[in-house]
Amino acid sequence: MTLQSEHIDFIIKDLHRRGLLLDGFKDEVVDHVCSAIEGEMARGERFMDAYQKVISSFGGNDGLQQTQDLTIQYENKKLKVMIQNYFTIAFRNLKKQRFYTAINIAGLAVGVASCLIIVLFVMNELSYDKHWSDNDRLFRAQSEIKFGDNHLIMAVTPGPLAETLMKDFPEVESAARFWNYDTYIFKHGDETFKEPNSVFADSNIFRIFDMHFVAGDPHTALKEPNSMVITQKIAEKYFPGQNALGQSITSNSNKSWKITGIVDNAPKNGHFHFNFMLSLVSVEYNKDPNWLSNNFNTYVKLRKGADAKALEAKFPTMIDTYAGPQAKAALGADFTMEKFRAAGNKIEFTLIPVTDIHLKSDRMAEMEANSDITYVYIFSIIAGFILIVACINFMNLSTARSSNRAKEVGIRKVMGSMRSHLVRQFLTESVLLSIFSFLIAIGLAWMAVPLFNELALKELSIPFQSPVFWLLIGGCALITGVLAGLYPSFFLSAFRPVNVLKGNLALGTKSGVVRGALVVFQFWISIVLVVGTIAVNRQLNYIQNTKIGFNKDQIIVIRDAYVLGDQLQSFKEEVEKDTRIISGTISAFLPVSNTARSDNTHWPEGKAPTDENMVSIQVWRVDYDYVKTLGMKIIQGRDFSKEFLSDSSGVILNQAAVKMFGYQDDPIGKKISTFAESIIDGTKKLKTSTIVGVVEDFNFESLRQNIGPLALFLEKSSGRISFRFEAKNTQEVIKTIESQWKKLGPGQPFDYSFLDEDFGNMYSAEQRLGRIFTVFAVLAIIIACLGLFALTAFTAEQRTKEIGIRKVLGASVSGIVVLLSKEFGKLILIAFILAAPVAWYGIDKWLESYQYKTEIGVFVYLLAGLAAFGIAWLTMSFQSIKAALANPIKSLRSE
Amino acid sequence: MHSPELLKGTLQTIVLKVLKDHGKMYGYEITQRVKELSDGRILLTEGALYPTLHKLEAEGLLKTEVVNIGKRIRKYYLLTAPGKALAKDRVSEFVDFINTMSSVLQVKVG
Repeated sequence: MTLQSEHIDFIIKDLHRRGLLLDGFKDEVVDHVCSAIEGEMARGERFMDAYQKVISSFGGNDGLQQTQDLTIQYENKKLKVMIQNYFTIAFRNLKKQRFYTAINIAGLAVGVASCLIIVLFVMNELSYDKHWSDNDRLFRAQSEIKFGDNHLIMAVTPGPLAETLMKDFPEVESAARFWNYDTYIFKHGDETFKEPNSVFADSNIFRIFDMHFVAGDPHTALKEPNSMVITQKIAEKYFPGQNALGQSITSNSNKSWKITGIVDNAPKNGHFHFNFMLSLVSVEYNKDPNWLSNNFNTYVKLRKGADAKALEAKFPTMIDTYAGPQAKAALGADFTMEKFRAAGNKIEFTLIPVTDIHLKSDRMAEMEANSDITYVYIFSIIAGFILIVACINFMNLSTARSSNRAKEVGIRKVMGSMRSHLVRQFLTESVLLSIFSFLIAIGLAWMAVPLFNELALKELSIPFQSPVFWLLIGGCALITGVLAGLYPSFFLSAFRPVNVLKGNLALGTKSGVVRGALVVFQFWISIVLVVGTIAVNRQLNYIQNTKIGFNKDQIIVIRDAYVLGDQLQSFKEEVEKDTRIISGTISAFLPVSNTARSDNTHWPEGKAPTDENMVSIQVWRVDYDYVKTLGMKIIQGRDFSKEFLSDSSGVILNQAAVKMFGYQDDPIGKKISTFAESIIDGTKKLKTSTIVGVVEDFNFESLRQNIGPLALFLEKSSGRISFRFEAKNTQEVIKTIESQWKKLGPGQPFDYSFLDEDFGNMYSAEQRLGRIFTVFAVLAIIIACLGLFALTAFTAEQRTKEIGIRKVLGASVSGIVVLLSKEFGKLILIAFILAAPVAWYGIDKWLESYQYKTEIGVFVYLLAGLAAFGIAWLTMSFQSIKAALANPIKSLRSE
Repeated sequence: MHSPELLKGTLQTIVLKVLKDHGKMYGYEITQRVKELSDGRILLTEGALYPTLHKLEAEGLLKTEVVNIGKRIRKYYLLTAPGKALAKDRVSEFVDFINTMSSVLQVKVG
């Protein structure tokens, strides 16, 4: 039989009265009771008797209660409920402590965002040239030559090397060359284009670098003379909407180049970025047999399993075989390679993995300026530092607030919380904070990446589509949360409830050797970064304002002046007529990098050239107005002059060259000789020049390098034309020059720059480094101060009563401010003492690479220390003063 | 009737096995079934049964289905996959135990 509705109502009501409340469990018990009563009643019992019997089988009221309690306990073990509980409590706590939560999240988010950007940067740096297939078998051959006082470390090698490697060494699968990476001028229709990133290449270059061909055949593309391979971007530019394959473009020398292949645009993260690859067979020079000149970038692909080191070991024999006879022919019959080596000289070829070039190669004649592995290290360290500083904030705030939570921990423990429960509770809070911070960090990084790209000249982007990225971010958020929460959670959960609840444990105010140590560490990092930043910026300033031996200001340089041909001289004269133009000079050789360079060996006239007296010097071809226009200083003899016809065989040396030739007394009138190659028949003949003057040493390479020997000759060199102009009306001067240019060379591109800018560009890597360094150092300090700010706020809050009593007893406001600041002030002092030697060591290492370096005096360290202290004090003073000014009545009356 | 002391360690095994043999059951049904199988010699008390059921549920060995019957709400328990595996283990473990006990106590079973 089934129970009536009123019976069921009675049962529900009565069970409720007996204290049955647990949702879910209540319904279950009601159903059980009903079923049991039905069973009893079926055996003839009356309802009330049956009901009493069933209740007593539960054990009466007590039994019911106990069952319910047990059930609750077991239910709480359910993971879902537990986690839900952790989350609820975590959210409540975080919300209750808005101020600290905000500081925690902000600090961590900024830290993580900085880290994220730096990691993107570092990964980008490490990814260079990894996109070639078989990149573990790709190498670049490079050379090192030491001869007398000359020591050349070059990225280029002799022309015949590639062919010899393929012929003589079976382990070489392929070897190919690039030559003359430069800017060329092309004409298409009526328009003229300047094309940087153009190069000549061997036809088998695509066997080494497997560029993707959109059209054309990589095997035959560069086999024919006057054929070329271009990128898609260029194809679009010259032949929009058409099929560029098979079309032709004319170069400035009226040669027509047929497009035989179109490749994908060069990836950004490669050590070269060619737009035009012209077939090297088009130039006669490709057959240059000279083993003693280095002009080709040679790349090698080894066979599978071949050992690069073993191959390198065979190079000396190859040099003896091929370079030896040529050297003998040039230097005389008694030359032998053995004697050459015995004198401390060397010619050496080595192989560098292509993937190492971007970060580890800094040689003469690199195709593009490379980066430096040091930067990768420095930035990784900075990223680590910033993250550590942010995590320390987190730990410090959590432990500091522990006294507020000590009571909570005590009560929880009394109520039966296990230590593991508490650890989990605190870890949940920190992981939650961490995840939240990471989300904000991603947003911040997303906004900051474009700014960073501008700063670092990169094209980074956050890989939102990549699941690996999200996995990594999620993993990092968890790990950071756990790491940051580990110490506080164990620290807090170790409290003994008796002590805590009795109030014997006064934590938070002064406790904390660990917290002190962490603050010291934070400021240690900050001070190191500040000193580093000041040092980098000082060195940059020093470089740019140091005496460089010429006047770089107010000079405009027009590139590719040769396009004017015979008109160039009249262009110069026309422009010089303008009163604002002081003087002009035609020469491709300028004292900034990326202008023309050439060198040749000279020796004092009348002596036989030997290892001892030969000097390899820079040979610069200039005109009469060169020294005057560039503001160099003649310190002995005179400048070139049209009054002396003999000046065509004269030479001006710099001080370094005079020293190399060993002229003790007056060098003027002395003669130097060299072999000059005849342009007409290629024969070499002796050329002798008379020294007419000595120019003061001027820097013509980066100030990382010493000033080398240099000679100025009166010869034609029409690559560039430069004008010195008066300081005012720069824009008008440019306009005047441009209109003259347009008149004499219609349709030719007018491409100019200012010498001081070009000079600055030589140090753009350092400038970028300086700027990036500054940004991240400032961020680290801000994050550290954020933590300090919250810590002082906390201390002040803890000591409100103490401050109140002190004030009542007559303490002054300033006394209290000092009292509150003293504790942290001491820590910062310790941090400074520990940071100074480390910073000194690091800077010393970095400056070693500079020939000209600034002095980083004690002053800089003091400045950094003071700055850190000042910023920290400002941060603290806000809270201290607020606490000191508070009315003691308020703090003492309550409770 | 067997003493509750003896039953204490076997309660989970009984519940798991009964649910394994009968599929889904509600609390009262389980007590009745056990009573029937033991000829009234084993009476599961509600005070022990329900906490055990909730514990097994919390551990993921049981799942529940709720059915409305008029004013009453009936909660059925049934085994999850790990619950089924455990039921088998527990029974064979218990058989082992009986055999051991019979050698220890020097008596023959059944």
